Amino acid sequence: MTAPLLSLDNVTRTYMSRKGLFGTPVGVQAVAGVSLEVRAGETLGIVGESGSGKSTMGRMALGLEAPDTGRVALGGALMPALGTADWRALRKRAQMVFQDPLGALDRRVPVARQIAEPLEIHGIGSPTEREDRVRQALELTGLSEDHGRRFPHELSGGQRQRVVIARALITDPELLVCDEPVSALDVSIQAQVVNLLIDLQAERGLGMIFISHDLRVVRQISQRVAVMYLGHIVEEGTAEEVLRDPQHPYTQALVSAAPTPGAQRRQRVILTGEPPNPAARPTGCAFHPRCPVAQDRCRWETPALSQIGPGRSAACHLITDTPSAGMAAE
Amino acid sequence: MTDMLASSVPAEPARRRLDLPWYVGVSIFWVGVMLVVAIFSNWLAPHSFTALDLKYRLVAPFQSFAHPLGTDELGRDVLSRLIISIRVSLLIAFGATLISAVLGTTLGFLAAHFRGVVEQIVLVLADFQAAMPFLILALSVLAFFGNSLPLLVGLMGLYGWERYARIARGLAIAASAQGYATAVTQLGAKPARVYLRHILPNIASTLIVSMTLVFPEVILLESGLSFLGLGVQPPMTSLGNMVGYGREYITRAPWIMLTPSLVIVMTTLAISLLGDWLRDKLDPTIR
Amino acid sequence: MIRYLATRLLRAALTIALVVTFAFIVLRLSGDPATIILGPEAPPEAIEAFRHNWGLDRPVLVQYFDYFRAILRGDLGISMRDGRSAIELVGERIPATLALTIPALLLQLAIGIPAGVYAALHQGKGFDRAVMVTAVFGFAIPSFVLALALVLVFSVNLGWLPSGGRDSWMHAILPIITLGLGGAAALARFTRSAMLEVLGRPFIRTASAKGLPWAAVVRGHALPNAAIPTVTLVGFLVGSLIAGAVVVESVFSWPGVGRLLVVAVSNRDLAVVQCLLLLVAASMVTSNLIVDFLYGVLDPRLRHGARAGA
Repeated sequence: MTAPLLSLDNVTRTYMSRKGLFGTPVGVQAVAGVSLEVRAGETLGIVGESGSGKSTMGRMALGLEAPDTGRVALGGALMPALGTADWRALRKRAQMVFQDPLGALDRRVPVARQIAEPLEIHGIGSPTEREDRVRQALELTGLSEDHGRRFPHELSGGQRQRVVIARALITDPELLVCDEPVSALDVSIQAQVVNLLIDLQAERGLGMIFISHDLRVVRQISQRVAVMYLGHIVEEGTAEEVLRDPQHPYTQALVSAAPTPGAQRRQRVILTGEPPNPAARPTGCAFHPRCPVAQDRCRWETPALSQIGPGRSAACHLITDTPSAGMAAE
Repeated sequence: MTDMLASSVPAEPARRRLDLPWYVGVSIFWVGVMLVVAIFSNWLAPHSFTALDLKYRLVAPFQSFAHPLGTDELGRDVLSRLIISIRVSLLIAFGATLISAVLGTTLGFLAAHFRGVVEQIVLVLADFQAAMPFLILALSVLAFFGNSLPLLVGLMGLYGWERYARIARGLAIAASAQGYATAVTQLGAKPARVYLRHILPNIASTLIVSMTLVFPEVILLESGLSFLGLGVQPPMTSLGNMVGYGREYITRAPWIMLTPSLVIVMTTLAISLLGDWLRDKLDPTIR
Repeated sequence: MIRYLATRLLRAALTIALVVTFAFIVLRLSGDPATIILGPEAPPEAIEAFRHNWGLDRPVLVQYFDYFRAILRGDLGISMRDGRSAIELVGERIPATLALTIPALLLQLAIGIPAGVYAALHQGKGFDRAVMVTAVFGFAIPSFVLALALVLVFSVNLGWLPSGGRDSWMHAILPIITLGLGGAAALARFTRSAMLEVLGRPFIRTASAKGLPWAAVVRGHALPNAAIPTVTLVGFLVGSLIAGAVVVESVFSWPGVGRLLVVAVSNRDLAVVQCLLLLVAASMVTSNLIVDFLYGVLDPRLRHGARAGA
């Protein structure tokens, strides 16, 4: 096995918020002890509802946010402290694609200049070389030079996202984190952008984290998938296996809500109860209030993520104790 | 939806005719005249503004070709003094507005960048400044430090900074929260690049509108101080200064104070009309 | 509501503390108080004695706290012009200033609010336009120009009213009108826009759709709601009255605190200036507290403690 490109080792992140001027600060744990690895040339999909901590995970993977505990390492080296010169220099190796491309672009600057900006920031190449690279990047992402002369608001949503991708790739990064990159786009355009990402990733051997709540897209683009619920990974494995044969009751519910082609037709599991709220995290297994097969111990004991097969793990008392009990829903 | 809105914006300026309301046209004309007068005052003034002509004291306007706007108690030419006064008053107001805009924007950016204690300090200072009548603060400083032109400009430069600071802070936080500022930071840009190359151009129109709204207030403030004899000091002259010394002769020679008064009113009126109009056009969100 | 007022009180105290700090810093930065007060030609022994008496030879931080303590005791120093205590000097001028500012404030309210409401109810009509034009001019005409214009017309040309001094109630008329008019214009403009904003809200349409007479809708719904933002302007009005008093008292030779301030500043009578600075700060803070209190009473959201965006 080669060394992973990116590794997150037992990272946690807690946000402090207080109510009013005199309120006592309350910690909200967005990510609670998560470990992940991404290899070069591999795409890891992170799936979960809003509030599951998946975006925070992505930001920590990039080093945009420092974990409170745990370690993040890129290419074997520990992530430098936020805002330092080392940290800034590292930016050219790890890039991000945002959910809202219009928000991620400066409205007053023609897009070609924005694509060139990472080169300017990191002092890469002469002005003519930069121009060449911008031209290549535009071409690579399926944009014309004419598009490059326009302003963000003069492009369509899909074209803007291509611009963001071109800007992210112009420094030849090793890692690309895409946070819901297509959820703001029309369905017809989603497929184009996803295909573009798949092609680029294969061509350049990028390591990629693809964060989404859309299982179909994740299945299409990822080799491996991690399912998150309230700051924990509840299930992890190859995209194929996890989405075809989910083990954790939460994954089962997700998969049954969005049937993917080729998956076994299962009984639809309807999630009941409150949607997950990180500020009021249930005790024990965080999923137990909504779990159709919850038992008494789930209320008090937090299940650990443990291996349940080759390259496959889940965090559920019912699976890890009696491997067949996970099928109880059927 | 936002896409549709956004894409309809750029096409509009091309279609929109430049239809100025008449009063904005007049305001622009007046401000233009004032600027020309201020810039070319040395050539335009027919006499030296300090030249005494004791034979022609308190000459009324339109009585003499040499002194079209009359003379004051020492026989100095009112028109020449007016022209120099316009230059001095505009220069002070311009310098002060610029200082306050730079100061306020910088503090606002610092508050947005560092948050926490820095932000709290800036906000407390802004509240303090907004809560106290500035004329009183300015008078106390003048009492303690005495008077000089650089001090006066610097002091006026503290006027209104809190408005730029609030605007700059608010917009910078908004930019960092959702958009391009985070994106550029994430690309590895230093804060200076993020604030100066990206955020500043994006909020420039709002800041310029605020400047046109603050500018007339600075003119009023300076003329008020000078009127009280605590601003621009003789032999230098300014609009407020002329009114202040002219008021001694309000019964015998009202023109000495009336002409500069008229210029003050016209100029503040023109610039504030212009500012209001610009605000409605460019940025209806402020104030 | 209690918490809201507590926060405001805390802020008020903070503002006063900031003003004291401001005075201290300016005083220290302005050079050696000993030479300023005693003059550059004072003998070195005198300067030394002065420095010792005032604690100027001790560390700055100690001086700062001493200064605070002295002010809390009400020890605001002695006027260097006539040797009386600064507080006394300022105190005897206050009634004269109140005799101008209180009627002026009432005048502002009496003109500004009805004019703004009427203009809003007849938006776009002649009166509304006249109010808007007047408001714009009211901003652009500095109070000293207005004062001199009034003097020119009513004293010099018509000879109806005295142009300065404080001998009879007649002498107060022109200063009060000068002070009142500028603020009235701003108040009218603000009331108008607050009223228009309220009139545009859905509940007004609902109320009139229910068949309520328009006058009742205005009285029962629009006015109370428009009053809430208008109240906040009162703090601003008090501030501009104080600044206005400085100018107007000087023009009309009215022996109030404003004129005292101008005289004290020209003479660099630091104790008096500092005392006046604190007086202004105290009145600003008090009027802002009253505004906050009124705001709390008027705004039901605050009354019940739930405050959006607090």
